[in-house]
Amino acid sequence: MARQKWKELLIRTLRLYTLLVTLITVLMIVLGNLLDRNRVFGYDAFFSPLIYALIGTVATVITRSEKELSVRSLIVRKTVSLLLIEGAIILIALNADTIPTEKSQAVVSLALGVFAVFILTHIILYLIDKKEAEKLNADLSRYQEKQMNGSPIHE
Amino acid sequence: MKLETRKIPESEPEMVEIRYHWVTEEIQEIISFVKSRQGQLSAVREGKRYEVPVVDLFYAESVDDRLFLYTAADSYEIRMKLYELEDLLQNKSFFRVSKSMIVNLMKISSVRPALNGRFSAVLKNGEEIIISRKYVPALKQILKGGES
Repeated sequence: MARQKWKELLIRTLRLYTLLVTLITVLMIVLGNLLDRNRVFGYDAFFSPLIYALIGTVATVITRSEKELSVRSLIVRKTVSLLLIEGAIILIALNADTIPTEKSQAVVSLALGVFAVFILTHIILYLIDKKEAEKLNADLSRYQEKQMNGSPIHE
Repeated sequence: MKLETRKIPESEPEMVEIRYHWVTEEIQEIISFVKSRQGQLSAVREGKRYEVPVVDLFYAESVDDRLFLYTAADSYEIRMKLYELEDLLQNKSFFRVSKSMIVNLMKISSVRPALNGRFSAVLKNGEEIIISRKYVPALKQILKGGES
C-alpha cells in the first residue's frame, strides 16, 4: 500500500508540473504579446516555464500535509502556497532579463497571471479528479453487483 | 477461565456454550465476538443492548477512544477497538477510509471529488464521509477486485 501511495504522489506531482509548464508557457505568450512584443530572446528563454513550474510544484509539495485538513485550514494552506509562489516568481522576474519589470504594469500583470495559473491549475486538477471519481463509481457499481449476486470479488 | 472444546459428529449442530457466574466485561467481549462471527454486533444505545446486523451497518467511527456504529438512522456504541472491528469485518465489504473510520462499501451510493485530492463518499442515507487521500489507491484496488 505504501508503494501505491508514493506512486500516486509521484503521478500527481508530475501531472501538476506538466500542467504548470503548459499554463505558464501560455501566460508568457499572452503577457509577452501584450506588454513587450518586440523583445528578442535567446534559447535560454525556453528554460523559463520549466523553472517557474518547478517553483510552483515545489511550493505545492512542501506545503502539502499528510494530515486531513479542515476546509478552513486547507484554504489557509493554499493561500500560503500562493503567496510563496507569487513571492518567488516576482523575485526571480526582478533579477531576470526575460520580463520587463521596469514597467509596473508588467509586474502587476505577472502577479495576476500567476494567480490565474494557480486557479486554473486547481480547476483542471479538480476536473481530473472528477473523471477519476466517475471511474470509481463505475467500479463501485460493478463491485456491489458482484457482492449482491453472491460472488465475492476477494475470497 | 477453563476452556473446553469437543469434536462432535457432523450430524450434530456446532455450538458455543458460555457458562458464567456474572456477565463480566470479559464474558461480554466473548459473546460479542461470537455474535459478530454470525453477522451481528452487540452494541449499546441509550443504555439498552441491541444486536445490530452487520449488513445494516453504514460505517463505524472511533471518537475519543470510543467506537460508534452507524446504521441508516441510528447510532450505537460498541466496546471494541476500530482495528479489532476492521479485522472482524474483513471480507464483509468494509473498507478503511480514514484513520478513524471504516465504511460499508455496499452502502455507498456515489463517490465524488473533494478538495485537495481527497474524495467524498455519499452514502445511501444521504450522509457524506471523506475518503482520505492515503486510502484512495487501496480503494481503487479493492473495487477492481484486488485484496485489501
